[in-house]
Amino acid sequence: MAQYIVTSDRFANCKRGDILDGNDLEAAGINIEVLIDSGHISTYTPKKSAKTKDTETDKD
Amino acid sequence: MATTVYLSNPALTINSVNLTDQATSAVLSFVYESLETTAFGDTARKFGGSSVTSLQNNTFEVTLYQSYAASETEATIYGLVGIQTTITVSPTAAGLVTPSATEPKYTLTGAYLESHTPINATLGELSTITLTFTGGTLTKAVS
Repeated sequence: MAQYIVTSDRFANCKRGDILDGNDLEAAGINIEVLIDSGHISTYTPKKSAKTKDTETDKD
Repeated sequence: MATTVYLSNPALTINSVNLTDQATSAVLSFVYESLETTAFGDTARKFGGSSVTSLQNNTFEVTLYQSYAASETEATIYGLVGIQTTITVSPTAAGLVTPSATEPKYTLTGAYLESHTPINATLGELSTITLTFTGGTLTKAVS
C-alpha cells in the first residue's frame, strides 16, 4: 500500500514530515484523494539507498 | 446532584484535518430511529425493546470560519461534498489524542456531506460556513 507524507500543520495527531500508511488512513474512513488535493498529504516514495561498489574485488 | 460546568471548547477533525481553530460551533447528535413495537394488549405506545435494534441516524453540524488559504477551510472541505468521511470530536483537545472517561472522543465514520457554501459573504462580517454531515456510525472512545 502507498505511503504518504504529511505536508500541512493541520493533520490530526501528526506533524509535518510524518509518514502515513495508506491502509491505516482507509481503515479510519479517511478520504486520501481529498487530503492530497487539499494539500495536507502527498504521495511518499522512499528513496532507494545508493548502490555500493566493492572496490577491493574490482581490482585487476 | 453532581454537575460539571465548562467553557464550551471542543476540538474536532474533519477527514483527519484539525479545524478546531476555525470552528465556532459544533453539534453532534446521536440518534437511533424509533421503531414502534406496540402490540395488542398494550395500553400505551412502545418503541424499541431489548431485541429491537433500529438504525442510527446521526448528524454533525459545524460552523467554521471560511479561509481560502492553503490547507485551510475551503481547501479541506470543498472536495468532501458528495462523499463520505470521518469526523472526530471531543470536549477537549486532549481528548482527541488520549480520550478518557472525562474527555471522551466521538468518531463518526461514514458521514456524508451533502452541501457546502463556498461563498457566504456579508459586508463587514467574517465569512463563515455551516456544514451538516449526515449518517454514519458513531462510536465513543474513553481510553
